[in-house]
Amino acid sequence: MNGLVSMLRTRSLAPTGVVVVVGVLIVLAYGPAYTGAVFVLSACYAIVTAGMAVQIGFSQQIAFSQSVFMGVGAYGVAMLNTYYSIPVLVATPIVMVGAALAAILLGSVVTRVSGLALAVATLMLPLIAVGYVSATGFLGGAVGAPLTATLWPTGSSDAIAIGGGLVTVAFLAIAVFVASRILTSDIGLELFVLGVDERTAAAMGVRTPRRRLELFVLGCVFAALGGAAYAGTQQFVPETLIDPTSELALLIMLFIGGRRSVIGAVAGALIIQYLQGASNWVSVNILVVEGVLLTLVLLVDPEGLAGIVNSGIAWLRGRYGGGLPALPTPTRAATEPDADALEALEALEAVDSSEPAFSASEIPGGPDEAVAATALLECKAVGKEYGGLTVLDDVSLALPRLGLFGLCGPNGAGKTTLLNVVGGSVPPSRGHVLLNGEDITKKAPHERFYLGISRTFQAVHLIKGRTVLDNVAVACLASHKSSIVTRVARSRLDDARDKAAQTLKELGMQNLASREVSSLTLENQRMVELARALAPGPRLLLLDEPASGLSEQQRYRLADLLRAVGEMTCVFLVEHDLDLVAQVSQRIFVLSGGRLVFDGGPDEFRSSPVVNSLLVGL
Amino acid sequence: MKLGNLIIAGLVTGSIYAVFAVCVAVWYRVCNILNLAVGDFAMVGALGVDNLYRVKGMPLAAAIVTTLAVVGVFAYVYDRIVLRLAQDGPRRMEGIVVTFFFTFALSFFIDGVAKMLFGTDVHAAPALWNGQALTWASLHFERAGLLVLACAIIIGGAFWLYIRYTLGGKALEASGENPIGARIAGIDTRRYRWLIFVGTAVIAAVFGIVESPITGYTYLSGATISLTGFLAAAYGGFRKPGRALLAGLFIGVLEALLGGYVSAEYGDTVLYAILAAAVLAWPRGLGFESAVSG
Repeated sequence: MNGLVSMLRTRSLAPTGVVVVVGVLIVLAYGPAYTGAVFVLSACYAIVTAGMAVQIGFSQQIAFSQSVFMGVGAYGVAMLNTYYSIPVLVATPIVMVGAALAAILLGSVVTRVSGLALAVATLMLPLIAVGYVSATGFLGGAVGAPLTATLWPTGSSDAIAIGGGLVTVAFLAIAVFVASRILTSDIGLELFVLGVDERTAAAMGVRTPRRRLELFVLGCVFAALGGAAYAGTQQFVPETLIDPTSELALLIMLFIGGRRSVIGAVAGALIIQYLQGASNWVSVNILVVEGVLLTLVLLVDPEGLAGIVNSGIAWLRGRYGGGLPALPTPTRAATEPDADALEALEALEAVDSSEPAFSASEIPGGPDEAVAATALLECKAVGKEYGGLTVLDDVSLALPRLGLFGLCGPNGAGKTTLLNVVGGSVPPSRGHVLLNGEDITKKAPHERFYLGISRTFQAVHLIKGRTVLDNVAVACLASHKSSIVTRVARSRLDDARDKAAQTLKELGMQNLASREVSSLTLENQRMVELARALAPGPRLLLLDEPASGLSEQQRYRLADLLRAVGEMTCVFLVEHDLDLVAQVSQRIFVLSGGRLVFDGGPDEFRSSPVVNSLLVGL
Repeated sequence: MKLGNLIIAGLVTGSIYAVFAVCVAVWYRVCNILNLAVGDFAMVGALGVDNLYRVKGMPLAAAIVTTLAVVGVFAYVYDRIVLRLAQDGPRRMEGIVVTFFFTFALSFFIDGVAKMLFGTDVHAAPALWNGQALTWASLHFERAGLLVLACAIIIGGAFWLYIRYTLGGKALEASGENPIGARIAGIDTRRYRWLIFVGTAVIAAVFGIVESPITGYTYLSGATISLTGFLAAAYGGFRKPGRALLAGLFIGVLEALLGGYVSAEYGDTVLYAILAAAVLAWPRGLGFESAVSG
């Protein structure tokens, strides 16, 4: 019940409401007329583009499968109707189940790859489908497949037109509802990260292969629904429905409307189809119109018409809204960093004094000496080669449960590679990685995240276009093990945001929470990344050059913060700043040419001839 | 000698794919945009020459020069206005998703204009090298086919040599790898972008003129050629013109063999299925690793 109430309150219902109201009005007003028919046809395409907004626009998984699955839906309904006389409304769910099964089968093969490889592999689908349809003749070949029944089964021709239109609007409303619910849920945040940067997504616990498959299936099922509505309302399935041109036309609708916005994608389909239906010139020269429109829209805003409308609203608010500026004023922003960092330290110190630092005996299972004595992280004879180049050569080290451990070495020594091997994004050629005595060598990055390994990257990997709060919330999501469908009913994004807000508060960064991350200074961006890594309460924190690009003062503040963190968890720190490493670490490892050449405390580190010759140049 | 003739036919078709793959790969290397409109320039070349020569009655040489000039100027203007805004403007295009669809729009636009100007029928530029097919043993060499093959080898080879052995080639590579770094090092990345864009557009147009007597073009042919060229470029990892050239030739031969031995109807379907399977089986081996992160 609570879920239902919160669902009704959320913004995600607005697009569905708009679609229902506008759709029903248009169908009732123009139903049997030409305009009504044009609208219903465009609504069929809009069902497909709503799914594409989730799959292609938002999650950036380009798969050219829509026209094929629109064909699956349309031909499926046509065949069930022609050969078995099943009414369209009954055939539609049957075909959707079939399409879902087919999509799971096909998707489990093609979504093994991502990015351009996925695009290229699926680019063949329309070509294969067209080749099959035109060669067999079973589906009507190049002529097309006619239907005898209609979406709305009985009545006068007016009743059939209006009924079919209303059913199509209902289908569209369902599609928009599901799509916008997913995008505004915690899984929506996962998908956003997946779309921007798959590596970060995996490091934050997102099960990328599974999400890719779910997205593919979702896109296919929406396309099949659109296809079924198409067959039911047009009573004819042309072969051109499944060819690459039709696929490209759908993509153009999506990009003109706004790739990341469900309502934008729907609007894109309606606009393109309406223009074609309304003007004969446009219909004949549709290629020119689409080409010019898409170029213009992308140049003005890559987020399409939805992006343009959003910026327009933001501008109007900024200009006439008075008390509602879109962004915090710059003067305030400029004074923030220092205050933040100081507060951060105070907060952390306060935590330290009130709750004495975790000691080995307090860790769960701590009293057991044997457990306390086992290392948290062990690398056993880890080796890594790229082609013939040896990057890591027989590296063995062990870290206990608490403390800060430095990893230094000249450029190309293999520091980041070792961190990647521990984090799971690079598989080692030889050797084993153990966490808590358990061999995790074969585990994927997201599985290691569940085991308590959290990391930052050498270059800042924040999610542009999202707030600081959402960037931290990414690491607090509880949705990783749930399927995409469950989030239609209930989102737990607010829980993740609460947890993220808590972490930001502890670090004294709450005043940054609503800022968009690319507007932050580098120091604050690094702090946000640190907050994101700390938020899930990791057992092992991997930091890759957190001080690079920071000024001396900022480094002091960072050093204090790192010391505090090192008393709560195990930190493995890759850093070029030797002073910083010697200040904060209790033990330091030095890599050179992929081999471990030094291992000792900070004092030894400062005086070691190996270190001095390698890193200081003495 | 069925096999030999199939291979010859395959090499001719393959060299079409190969040239477009090279054009796609070289430009992607310069500015990280996949040019999916390159085949449309070929279509404009073929249909433009046909229209000026056959319909308007221009001398053949003048028709060819005029068509190439129009293609070159159009490409230059497109670069100056659209690409400049897209890559150097205040809202820079980012990510494969947006750039991927950018040249789709160009392709649609060119096809639409071609439909207005040239209609929807199949046409071709007049053959440049007339005469009987050459025969050697029982192998048949169509003259137009030989011309296409020669063009492909010269164009592909020239690009390969340029990139591999000249300073300009290195600068070109640097432009794509790290545009900001390249500019700091004194490389005018924008100049390379328009030079290669205009250059590949004109090359594509020349190729369309040479090739069209074999297959004949409609206003929609460009998209099909681009698509296969794009696929061949994909198997060359998008950035390697040499590999793209070989991949194009290989796809052409495979297509001919499948059509000749497996099934004339299902040949293409089987071909595409094989190509898709190859991407799925060896994404890294085909060079997708570097392309994915873009």
